[in-house]
Amino acid sequence: MLNKRLIGVVTVKNGWAVQSFGYRRYLPLGKPEVLVHNLDRWGADEILLQCTDRSHPSVGPDFELLRKVSDLGISTPLIYSGGIRGREDALKVVSFGADRVMIDALLKNAPADVEAVARVLGIQAVIANLPTKNAPEGMLLLDYHSGHEMPLAEAVKLLPLDWISEVMLTDWYHEGYSEAFCMSLLAASDLLRKPLICFGGISTSHQIRALLANDSVVAIGVGNSLNYKEHAIQALKKDLFGVAIRPPYYESSTL
Amino acid sequence: MSRKTIGIVDYGVGNHASVQRAFQALGHACRLSNEKDFLASVDVMVLPGVGAFPSAMQALHSLDMVDFIRDQASEGKAIIGLCLGMQLLAEISLEHESTKGLGLIPGTVQPLQYSACHIGWNALEVLHQDPLFMPCNRMSVYFNHSYVFEVPEIYRAARVSIDGYSYTAAVRKGNVCGLQFHPEKSQTVGKQLLNRLVEGLAHAK
Amino acid sequence: MNTKMNLRCVRCLYPISHPLGLVLDESGVCSGCLIHEEKDRLDWLERWRKLELLVAPYRVESGKTYDCVVPVTGAHDSYYIVDTVKNRLGLNPLLVTYNKYFNTPLGIRNLANLRIQFNCDILIQNINPQAVKRVTRTTLRQMGSIYWPCIAGQTVFPVQTAVRYKIPLIIWGAHQGIEQVGMYSHEHEVEMTRRYRKDHDLMGYEADDLLSIFDSLGEDDIWQYRYPDDADLNAVGVRGIYLGNYVRWDPKAQHEQMIQRYDYKGASFPRTFDTYDHVDCYNFMDIHDHIKYLKCGYTKITDHACREIRFGRLNRKQAQQLVKQYESQPLIHLQKFCEWLGVDERGLEFILNQHRNHKLWTETYPGKWQRKPETDDLVQVAAMPESGFLGFESHTQLQMDRDDAYITVGKGYP
Repeated sequence: MLNKRLIGVVTVKNGWAVQSFGYRRYLPLGKPEVLVHNLDRWGADEILLQCTDRSHPSVGPDFELLRKVSDLGISTPLIYSGGIRGREDALKVVSFGADRVMIDALLKNAPADVEAVARVLGIQAVIANLPTKNAPEGMLLLDYHSGHEMPLAEAVKLLPLDWISEVMLTDWYHEGYSEAFCMSLLAASDLLRKPLICFGGISTSHQIRALLANDSVVAIGVGNSLNYKEHAIQALKKDLFGVAIRPPYYESSTL
Repeated sequence: MSRKTIGIVDYGVGNHASVQRAFQALGHACRLSNEKDFLASVDVMVLPGVGAFPSAMQALHSLDMVDFIRDQASEGKAIIGLCLGMQLLAEISLEHESTKGLGLIPGTVQPLQYSACHIGWNALEVLHQDPLFMPCNRMSVYFNHSYVFEVPEIYRAARVSIDGYSYTAAVRKGNVCGLQFHPEKSQTVGKQLLNRLVEGLAHAK
Repeated sequence: MNTKMNLRCVRCLYPISHPLGLVLDESGVCSGCLIHEEKDRLDWLERWRKLELLVAPYRVESGKTYDCVVPVTGAHDSYYIVDTVKNRLGLNPLLVTYNKYFNTPLGIRNLANLRIQFNCDILIQNINPQAVKRVTRTTLRQMGSIYWPCIAGQTVFPVQTAVRYKIPLIIWGAHQGIEQVGMYSHEHEVEMTRRYRKDHDLMGYEADDLLSIFDSLGEDDIWQYRYPDDADLNAVGVRGIYLGNYVRWDPKAQHEQMIQRYDYKGASFPRTFDTYDHVDCYNFMDIHDHIKYLKCGYTKITDHACREIRFGRLNRKQAQQLVKQYESQPLIHLQKFCEWLGVDERGLEFILNQHRNHKLWTETYPGKWQRKPETDDLVQVAAMPESGFLGFESHTQLQMDRDDAYITVGKGYP
């Protein structure tokens, strides 16, 4: 039976792993590769390495960081996000150890390139990040660089979703805040018709249980709060007993 | 555990680094190569792969590796195909256009029927009591694919269930085996399976 | 975040080059100062109640075993921590301490006095000195650190003890990341993690990393510094909490209480005005402080000054002047260290120069280094303050009435 997934998110800014609050305020946490290695040891179902400020200006993916992460020899599936400009970048990111890529700017700037990425990696390896907010007038999709918001219903017609396996629905406004994810964003699943990864303000097993009860939600991303306690991934999984998710894992050198 | 030499076929496709590190962490000597002399000398040959079947086969042809791999298989070399590498073992694939594969195990690579992609951790159901696979029976491993390699049941070493339908998760024909999932990204279960395969296949003729 | 290494907070003195990571907001105020404001904003009575609720399940009613593990030294707020744990929370602690070897007689005396005053049991870990010296030589050469074994031991021995004795709760004092750079809010109630230890305490290198990377070390040298397995931690339910998340943490005020009530003693240092902290070690405020300057561009006096600025006991200008005075004071315990480790001073200097931060230092002439200019360089150097500055009391010297030498194994004080 296919399990749902708990994704450990590591947000990187200026080479530092950071706590991010609404992508507006940041607090340093430490070295990204050390956080990734820790999530690997904790048995996260996937790890998302989210490098911010790579597309504006367009400096491309952080290959150096990917190499450092790869050198650790992690055995957890890795999703990389940040600065992917096209097919060549995507291929290189995968050759440096990522299993899947997440794209944002490329979806709007060069939708045809998304097809090229999907053709060379397989649709299963391509995820779209859609930073979304619920407004009285409906759901709005944010463009991080311009700051403009556009009705999601319109954006969907322009986005190359045929070449995407899953969508990460990011509640960017509540991102980093405890138990703040806006549940009404789930209405986006009717528009998107894609499996959803929810991220942004999700910190408790109570929220995760409620979100995973929804058929279209296949995975949950958790960021900041994973850094507050030991065995944070395992603690969430323990509380999710009964949900179709892999049980918690505690490493032992004697096994 | 004895130290084995493992050669990862370098044909310009795929995520070799993780696979190489996984074998090295298990204590085996592991190198990426497309030199026939070296690959002929190794205990286990690994065929990795990410992406599309037609371009992968094209890359193998351009390096003149296709007949070489077929010969190695018939001579009893232990071969492990990973993900797309497993699919390349097939006779034919229907991805994009109909393309001939290595033909080491009968069967066809065809699109997943239940949805576009199979992504995530899913539990293996081991068939035929294969001792190399039995220890990971009912354990979850990580899948990330949109095509499946359907084989005659006798070559299906393990299957996996999605929405009530079952699909091939692993194949084996003597010294040649293939894994649809990513053992190098399946944490402890994956590492232990890779170790058993390296030990077991190198002795199976 | 600004990438100019020398940029400093407009309120305290911390530079952007702070190794724990410092963020400045639009007005140039750092994350550390902003989080410090919580000390005057949060309801500490409420937070104390939370702490009482948190520790309640760990209290063993029979009294036949320990309720918690408390890591202590002959300094570092240990008295205040034990007083809080034993007398205010009513828990029965097992004290643990890691023998650093650089121990001052005053540190040994303070530790013995701690045990006696609070009537507590204590476990002391002594790792064989040859192994410690081998590890120190390796970390010195490869990472420019003489303190790796000390920090590794201090941070892991309590966790190993918790597992071995099946005492799940470990109680620490303050979280350095919160106190210095505001890495978390007090309200996040951050707990001890292996990740933080590896990332910040151990500069990215756990014991097994030293083993796999540096072939000068063997299993015998490092196994004692190894963190317990996750499976073992989970089986016991090990958990490390920080009192600083539940108590308005003010080291100066706390130490002064402890001096009055429990006869804690302090001593003066040439390189700082703080007389309470680090009196247990000959090297922390000496060669280790100098190394901090080479790598980070500032020394412990800056940490002390920033803390006092934030508590409103010092103004920034005064602080800048003081820092300039103290930072330049010479080292006085270097010879003891070189003798202990078996290196000569020239050799040590050579190794340390390889670890200077080139973003902060220029080699103007082979072997001669100059700090890169900062905007603060126009500040005048303060005169050396009188003893008792800001009320910091000094009661004795580090060596007390003993020889000026390390007490490598302290049998206790009369």
